[in-house]
Amino acid sequence: MTSLKVLASFVLKEFRQLARSPEMLAVLFLLPAIQLLVMGFAVTNEVKNVDISFFDYDKSHLSKSLIESFSSTDRFRIVPVSEAEHPEELLFKWKSKVVVVIPAGFERDCHGFAKPVLQVISDGIDGNSAALANAYVQGCILRFSQVMLQSRDPGLMKKDQGLDLIVRMSFNNDLKSNLNIIPGIIAVLVTVSSMVLSAISLAKEKELGTLEQLLVSPMHKYQLVAGKLLPYLIITLLQMQVAVLLAGIIFRISLAGSYPVLMLFSLIYLFTTLGLGIFISTRVNSQQQAMFFSWFMMVVMILLSGFFVPVQNMPKVIRGICFFNPLTHYMTVIREIVVKGSNLAQLRKELLILLSGGFIVFGFSLLSFRKRVK
Amino acid sequence: MIETINLNRKFGSFTAVDNLNLKIDKAEIFGFLGANGAGKTTTLRMLCGLLTPTSGTITVNGLNVVKNPEAVKRSLGYMSQKFSLYGDLRGIENLQFYTGIYGISWTAAKTNIKSLISQFDLDKYLKLKTSELPMGYKQRLSLVCALVHNPPLVFLDEPTSGVDPKARREFWQVINELAYRGKTVIVSTHFMDEAEYCNRVLIMQAGREEVCGNPLQLKQSHRVATMQQLFLKIAGADNAQS
Ligand SMILES: Nc1ncnc2c1ncn2[C@@H]1O[C@H](COP(=O)(O)OP(=O)(O)O)[C@@H](O)[C@H]1O
Ligand SMILES: [Mg+2]
Repeated sequence: MTSLKVLASFVLKEFRQLARSPEMLAVLFLLPAIQLLVMGFAVTNEVKNVDISFFDYDKSHLSKSLIESFSSTDRFRIVPVSEAEHPEELLFKWKSKVVVVIPAGFERDCHGFAKPVLQVISDGIDGNSAALANAYVQGCILRFSQVMLQSRDPGLMKKDQGLDLIVRMSFNNDLKSNLNIIPGIIAVLVTVSSMVLSAISLAKEKELGTLEQLLVSPMHKYQLVAGKLLPYLIITLLQMQVAVLLAGIIFRISLAGSYPVLMLFSLIYLFTTLGLGIFISTRVNSQQQAMFFSWFMMVVMILLSGFFVPVQNMPKVIRGICFFNPLTHYMTVIREIVVKGSNLAQLRKELLILLSGGFIVFGFSLLSFRKRVK
Repeated sequence: MIETINLNRKFGSFTAVDNLNLKIDKAEIFGFLGANGAGKTTTLRMLCGLLTPTSGTITVNGLNVVKNPEAVKRSLGYMSQKFSLYGDLRGIENLQFYTGIYGISWTAAKTNIKSLISQFDLDKYLKLKTSELPMGYKQRLSLVCALVHNPPLVFLDEPTSGVDPKARREFWQVINELAYRGKTVIVSTHFMDEAEYCNRVLIMQAGREEVCGNPLQLKQSHRVATMQQLFLKIAGADNAQS
């Protein structure tokens, strides 16, 4: 009972301090909203001047007019290619973002001999703009085929014939789209708020000397850590509600899976990030150092999480490292729940990994926290 | 009340506290005197269980501080050298917070500190944000915060640095009363005139005990008029601070 009161007075003090710190409040609520909006809209934004190359093996009248139809819009910039070059190589050397291969016999096929086929290969490294570029290319081709249909040439493209598009992403096979990036942003948000802010908050007490006053009190170190972390746990979960709500309102992303399951996973994941927060703060002397180390840690975690590039497309060694990154699994979980609506049973592997990760990291941080000065 | 045997503390190869043997009695005002860097803070921190000694033992009320530092903490109040209240909280909120983490009720705390607050003339300042208080009042509030749980043992690390002479006198008046009420007060200072208020002082230099005893007797035995002169005689002029 008494120990609960001790905890309560600590949490009260934390919230009072937060409420009086405009910078902290901005970091807590304004920054996430901005982050979500900017990153979210950057994704849905228009793509202009996409470098596109054509390998025209047909060299027919029709193939030329197809290529021409791409030059009439400012969405694309046609990069000329020589015969000797190879589509994948062009992408690899970043000469082009999208390559369209027009096979020999394209015009003939359009006259009803067979189903005409076009191949579109795009650079999937930047999954979002690739998705858009792809959509534009497909739109352009679709429009082209419609124009052909309406043309006076009666032999061209019977109504039921259609056109086969083989779309392929190089470097990023499972294309990420808005639906994937927004849950990813939420996962990053949760990491930032919990880890960075808890690290800074404890380091602040150290820097100001108030920590010494806490250490000399009879309060148990578990109470101290709990009192310090509980507010950030609550705030992060609150932020998450806001982010999920915004994602729904602004980006029309509704949660396919269960909300309680999402919360459960977030709660478990927070043990890891909050644990890392204390761990960092015990090893630094100032807020600045805490900020530096936690941002550094966060950047590494984000890069190795599959946020930008899917983990399965990374080299084997890096994949191994990614496995030990808790954000990788949380990101998977949050995407699975939001996009696919996966349930707890389907995510039991991630549940196990995140639970043990949280247990190890939080446990270790707690044990290494000493009620002593150095 | 407090006893240390061969107390040592090193930071790397540097010895901050060197072989200190102390005996402090109940209701005594015991002063640690010394220039900056003499090792006063380090010693006080070890006595509070905040810092582990490199070697040596400390017993407080028969309890070994090195072995169970947490047990000792309930019975002590500590005011650190650096001002360490929450500047963004009001005075009263700071008091309530420290009351809370010591696990006592606000009603009990109020009876413990009521007289102090009126004596310190703190009443009207409690509603203000702590960062907005004048230095003297910050220090007073710090002391009150260290006393919310009515500890028998009070550690004050340079409580009067940065405080004007009048406020310093008032502060010492309160310290005297605390001792009168049976509390043991361990205080560090680099003001030599404040040594006169202590029952016993220990003059430290480079982590070592130079002299220890009652100020009056020390002055007589060293044939000096003031503690300042005694300090100069012991420490050499360049180490002295007034
Ligand atoms: N955490 C620490 N790490 C390294 N050196 C320290 C540490 N704390 C104190 N010292 C050194 O120990 C000496 C004594 O410091 P301190 O006890 O603070 O002196 P005082 O309180 O008498 O001014 C100083 O030289 C100081 O630099
Ligand atoms: Mg000091």
